[in-house]
Amino acid sequence: MNKTEASVTIALAAIPNSGKTTLFNRLTGSGQATGNWPGVSIEQKSGSFVLGEYSINLIDLPGAYALSPVTEEERVVRNYFLQSPPDIILNILDARNLYRGLGLTLQMALSGLPMVVAVNMIDEARRQGISFDLKVLSQHLGVPAIELSARTGEGIPDLKQNLYKVIKYPEKTRNPHISCPPLLEKAFSEITEAINQSGIDTRLDHTFLAMRQLEEDDPEQRENDDKVDVMTRKWYRRLKQSLRTSIPVACANCRFNAARGLAMEVLHDQPAFEDQLTKQLDRIFLHRFFGLPIFFLLMFLLFQGVYGLGAPLQELLSSGFDRVGTWLASQALVISWPVWLQSFLFDGLWQGISVVTSFFPIITLFFLFMSLIEDSGYMARAAFLMDRLMHWLGLDGKAFITLLLGYGCNVPAVMGTRILTSSYSRILTMLLIPFTLCTARLQIFVFLTALFFSPVIAPLIILSLYACSFGAVILTGLLLKFFQIGGTPEPFIMEIPPYRLPTLHSISLRTWYELKDFLFRAATLIVAGVLIVWLLIHMPADVPPGSEATWAGQLGHMLTPVFYPLGIDWQETVALIFGFIAKEIVVGGLAVIYSGSDLAGQMSGHITPLQSISFMIFCLLYTPCVATIATIWSESRSIKITLLSLVLGLGIAWITSFIFYQSGLLFGFH
Amino acid sequence: MTTTQHIPVSALQPQIECIIRSLGSDDKTAQRLAQMGILPGTHLHIIRIAPLGGTIEVTGDQGQSFALRQKEIAAMTCEPVAMPLDSELVKVGQTYRIRALMGGKTFRQRMERSGIKEKKLLQIKRTGNKPVLMCQIDLNKPVELGRGEAKKIIIERISNEQN
Repeated sequence: MNKTEASVTIALAAIPNSGKTTLFNRLTGSGQATGNWPGVSIEQKSGSFVLGEYSINLIDLPGAYALSPVTEEERVVRNYFLQSPPDIILNILDARNLYRGLGLTLQMALSGLPMVVAVNMIDEARRQGISFDLKVLSQHLGVPAIELSARTGEGIPDLKQNLYKVIKYPEKTRNPHISCPPLLEKAFSEITEAINQSGIDTRLDHTFLAMRQLEEDDPEQRENDDKVDVMTRKWYRRLKQSLRTSIPVACANCRFNAARGLAMEVLHDQPAFEDQLTKQLDRIFLHRFFGLPIFFLLMFLLFQGVYGLGAPLQELLSSGFDRVGTWLASQALVISWPVWLQSFLFDGLWQGISVVTSFFPIITLFFLFMSLIEDSGYMARAAFLMDRLMHWLGLDGKAFITLLLGYGCNVPAVMGTRILTSSYSRILTMLLIPFTLCTARLQIFVFLTALFFSPVIAPLIILSLYACSFGAVILTGLLLKFFQIGGTPEPFIMEIPPYRLPTLHSISLRTWYELKDFLFRAATLIVAGVLIVWLLIHMPADVPPGSEATWAGQLGHMLTPVFYPLGIDWQETVALIFGFIAKEIVVGGLAVIYSGSDLAGQMSGHITPLQSISFMIFCLLYTPCVATIATIWSESRSIKITLLSLVLGLGIAWITSFIFYQSGLLFGFH
Repeated sequence: MTTTQHIPVSALQPQIECIIRSLGSDDKTAQRLAQMGILPGTHLHIIRIAPLGGTIEVTGDQGQSFALRQKEIAAMTCEPVAMPLDSELVKVGQTYRIRALMGGKTFRQRMERSGIKEKKLLQIKRTGNKPVLMCQIDLNKPVELGRGEAKKIIIERISNEQN
């Protein structure tokens, strides 16, 4: 490394559940930026901090168990190491169980890049009576090893000091030795030799590159015919015949044999220890009979916590916004402006900002509670309990929680898909959430059912709409699974981490980042969407807003052939266009469109109960709102997924309403 | 004598311990397990089965805890080393050693009265849903046990002690 270079890139690499995010937050504080890894919907987080005279760019790599990839996250990490090796690797081991992480640590120690190992969660390991000799670890790995607790901040100065030393006085690292079966060793050395001869210019160790070559999915697929590839193919074929396992498994075996010995030496031959607290808690939380009731109770509390507390705050905020808006609009200066400008500012822009801010309370509460569940370790238990139910949709148990929260509001639920471990379930869940009946849609249904049905029937209609929503989630899930939208499912092997006490610091930090993310990534799109709908409803300028002559009205008329078979007239079609902003304003939109004093009377005179149900079904299933679409876009970073979500929603809504309305007509209802 | 076998799905129950011999034929699953440090030779301990079934919590010999699906475990070849006495894997005529008694104090006392104690050897004479009949080697006295009782007695194989 060049000592005069002021900017140093450090890559934070560790297996999942080793406290990576906590350490990242601890080191970078507020200097964070998020983006996406090229070509995939996986978040890339980087942050900066200063270390003496160096400015450090810390890259938070996705959690990976090895550099021979199984998951998309691991592919990202592997590609990163091979294509743009960092200046320094910062690896994390879990002090409570060194063995788990040592496989990856050993693999990275072989890379030839400078590395520092942080043995994290030392406070909890101590509490459990584990003691170890880090000198042994450091000697074996040939790199500094520091004990710390990212949670409490203990050992952080020591880590920084060591990182500084590694930057300032780079030493040639000595690679650890891992013994493998002779045939494998021979393969490595011959491929290494071929790499040596190829004259490749890299900072990575050539044996490390040889291992990567051989552990690739299928070297036969590679087209290149240089010496290295020819050699790799030769050995690949030979090893495939003579090894009893696949090459990556054989390599993992060598690594973990070394890891087992190393862990034993470092831990002074203590027997593998058991976390009594976790064992006791699991006896309750995962109990055969009580496990599920406790889970549902916790989910109820979560739902109430997010929406019970969030909804009043949300209303308070939006009514506050309305009041400020009205006050601003009544100012003498504003009144002197042209009417269209006033309308643009207050019905368009102000409304858009109001929609964005109204999500703040629930997003805040959502992530506060979500981090609590995740950081404490209960999330893995929830996934374990619910796995069977979600498995036949091709999802894992964690997806249940995000889908459930969609019944409150789709926006935070889509943001919550981030907790899902595989990109397959993330995409699938993201596409299913829009079919969950959120509280905004419930408002429309409550209004319309009260209008068209007796108090006895109305609740039954709403109940059926909930059933329709469950059905849509399940059927769409099966459909997406069948067509393998999101790729192939990954094998479900989930670690169940020990319980931990979450800290206020990490929870609040996380919530703050999520809010900031929402503001920067989704907000502009939401405001833009609201403005487009405003244009439709208010243009041309010389007609009453929302009336037949506006663009929206014209669009409604134009769409008559599409909506006529569903029993939806142009007025309701315009209301559906309103519904793109937010479902909360559909009823208000109808009032504007009918532009009379007695909306209830006008509507019940205009449409039949059958038509009203058809309208409600359409409302339930089509695109929830511009905010959800914006969030899907910002989470998936994929135009394809976002468009698919739109098409799926509109398509399924149309088909369902069509079948319902036409069969209703057939059975003689009208 | 080693009996490496696929443990049938129906035989998966808590308290079974087995040594993995192969990780199964699905490469992706095998690689994932290997990368988590679950390899041939690892002792796998079934902790519990999810209330809805299908998903199983296991621990490896280094104290890692995992959830797997039935399918993945059934695909592995595994050599059972310990199991509850009511397990399908228990073979008639085999001799086993009692590893642990899981029940409460009264249960243990009752068992001890009929000579069932930790570390004692026993031979299975008959299995099935009817009371498990077994014969204790030291005393050579046959004992009949109900299924509920048998569930709480964990036995281990003695034929592969050298492993």
